[in-house]
Amino acid sequence: MGHNQSIRRFRNWYGTLLRLYPKPYRERFAEPMEQTFNDLLQERAKEGKGSFGFALWIFAETFAGILRETLMTIPKHILRPALLTAIIMLFPIFGSLYVDDWNWHWYSFVFAGSLLFSAALGYELVARRMSNKTYRLAVGVAVISAFAMNWANFAVGIFGEFDDIPTKPFYWGVILIGLIGAAVVRFRPRGMMYVMAAMAIAQMTVPVIALIVWPVEIRHLRHVAFPMLFAPTVAGAFGANAIFAALFIASALLFRRAGAHLKAQAV
Amino acid sequence: MAKSTTNPPLTPAVLHILLALSEQERHGYGIMKMVESDSQGKVKMGPGTLYGSLGRMIEAGLIRESDKKIDPEMDDERRVYYKITALGQTALDAELQRYREVIAVAKRKSRSAAYGT
Repeated sequence: MGHNQSIRRFRNWYGTLLRLYPKPYRERFAEPMEQTFNDLLQERAKEGKGSFGFALWIFAETFAGILRETLMTIPKHILRPALLTAIIMLFPIFGSLYVDDWNWHWYSFVFAGSLLFSAALGYELVARRMSNKTYRLAVGVAVISAFAMNWANFAVGIFGEFDDIPTKPFYWGVILIGLIGAAVVRFRPRGMMYVMAAMAIAQMTVPVIALIVWPVEIRHLRHVAFPMLFAPTVAGAFGANAIFAALFIASALLFRRAGAHLKAQAV
Repeated sequence: MAKSTTNPPLTPAVLHILLALSEQERHGYGIMKMVESDSQGKVKMGPGTLYGSLGRMIEAGLIRESDKKIDPEMDDERRVYYKITALGQTALDAELQRYREVIAVAKRKSRSAAYGT
């Protein structure tokens, strides 16, 4: 009697767990799985073995199956960026847990995760449009540069954390030029070359604007995003921006090469 | 060699399920018990692994669902039975042939090692 009661209870819990399976899978296999689970418990009861530990193992094993089946329903172009983001995010998570002075707020995790996921998803969506390796490399360089620039801008500030030099929104403009431009040229290699060149020009325009609008503040810069590379001067601010501009130009050249290659193939 | 390109190696779970179904059609619990018995208790499959593999094997055409019927040895609930297909049988035969070839190579090597050649 006691066995039957506990079997019924475990079976009910198991039925609840099976609801977590994706719908098509659940509709096909939930009933036979529940039946099999019941058979296994009945067998143990007949042998006079306890069922708690066994049921727990089956729950864990089935939960792993649920994760596997759920992951398989997610399209690969979303799954890959999500997994990459999850793996990379493990570093700051462990850093925050175990490294002194590494105390990220929850919103820093959300921001970093969203930025990483967007960059990886952007690469997946654009790069898979063409199998040409140079085109993919160009997309990769563009995405990594935009990601690094955004990261430097938001996390540290390319001009440091000077409230007197509020250049952060200007860099959103650089990204916006890239996004709108890519949509307008429909990601075609030749068009993308011009978009990347425009981003490089926009990038270098920011320190020029900063120098014109905030001439006093910029001359007193003591900290830029890469203090280890540049002297804390006007040249430092220009240098930091020049790195990103150079990366955008490199991407533009790769797009040009990919375009020429594709054109030659078409002929 | 041609066989290995048309029939890629099977995962242990798929191989054991095909072996269990090679003699007769079985329901999920029956497959589990047969796998356990065939492997002398070394392979223990839970329902998550078993039904996940069954789903993929059905999609690959290696097995198919048979009718729902009552197992005379169990209680009176109707169970879904699974049956090996011709494609499944071919895949199983190819895998077993691969195993035989590996064993033959291993035997040859151990013989030459014993004779020091």
